[in-house]
Amino acid sequence: MGANAQTSVPLFVANSVLTAAQQNISAATGVPVFATTVTRDAAFGGSNKVLAEGQLCYLESTDIVQYYTGAAWATVGPATSGALVRVGGGALSSTSTTFSNVFSATYDNYFFSISNLTSSSAGTITMIFGATATGYTWVSNRVTVSGGAANNATGSATTSFRMSGSVDTNPVALTGYFMNPFLAARTVYTSQDLTLLTDLGNNNGVLANTTSYTAFTISTSAGNLGGTMNIYGLALS
Amino acid sequence: MTALQIRIIDGDTVTDRDMNADELAVYEAIQDDAKAEAKAQADKATAKQAVLDRLGITADEAALLLG
Repeated sequence: MGANAQTSVPLFVANSVLTAAQQNISAATGVPVFATTVTRDAAFGGSNKVLAEGQLCYLESTDIVQYYTGAAWATVGPATSGALVRVGGGALSSTSTTFSNVFSATYDNYFFSISNLTSSSAGTITMIFGATATGYTWVSNRVTVSGGAANNATGSATTSFRMSGSVDTNPVALTGYFMNPFLAARTVYTSQDLTLLTDLGNNNGVLANTTSYTAFTISTSAGNLGGTMNIYGLALS
Repeated sequence: MTALQIRIIDGDTVTDRDMNADELAVYEAIQDDAKAEAKAQADKATAKQAVLDRLGITADEAALLLG
């Protein structure tokens, strides 16, 4: 139970004594905070405040804000059943950037976007899951803008997934999906490869193990990364 | 030589530091792989150009023939 969680919502009547503890609860929580729906329900009624329409609360167990309709509690947000929920992200920097604790049992698959992706020196962008540096098999399907000839590349059991062709100080963007990173199943990766003016395409890969991952690392082969990455969990239902 | 840096983002906590030995080893392995792939691609492009030169046509003309 967090520091602001409460177990009662006191009701004051004429000549009641307002204690410091009661005042602290009131001052610390504009919206009453409860550990679970059980402690929330126990806090209203009886000698406490009567539960009535319009009452707000915050639930620590599910990280949501709710309001009471007069008949039931309804969620204000964030909607726990939202199709896309941000689970991590931030500014890319240094030669490598690691995003820790982004994958969990809550989601199987994740969407990611990188905006304004740059490398201070022209470099290829790669990624790994956890600290694994083996077993990355991938195909880069690319077509040259001039002439339309295929300019494909492949990697079999390599040290990383390739996310792009050469990226430099001209900002580009990437979007894609990570599938099964937390599950005890092969992790699959797919993304657009729209980083070059000379050829465009997409990257697809599979990691040949069933390790459960919570983190991943993006690197540039030269210079330092720039840009902003966001990772979103895709709701299971 | 300046040590390579890594940024760790864990929720709202951001840490910038030098790569440790394990992180550096992984990074160098990835770069060795990338260099080998780049060399293979360059060799392939060189071989392709040699064929085009023997035929006396450009890459665009070859694409027209194969399209």
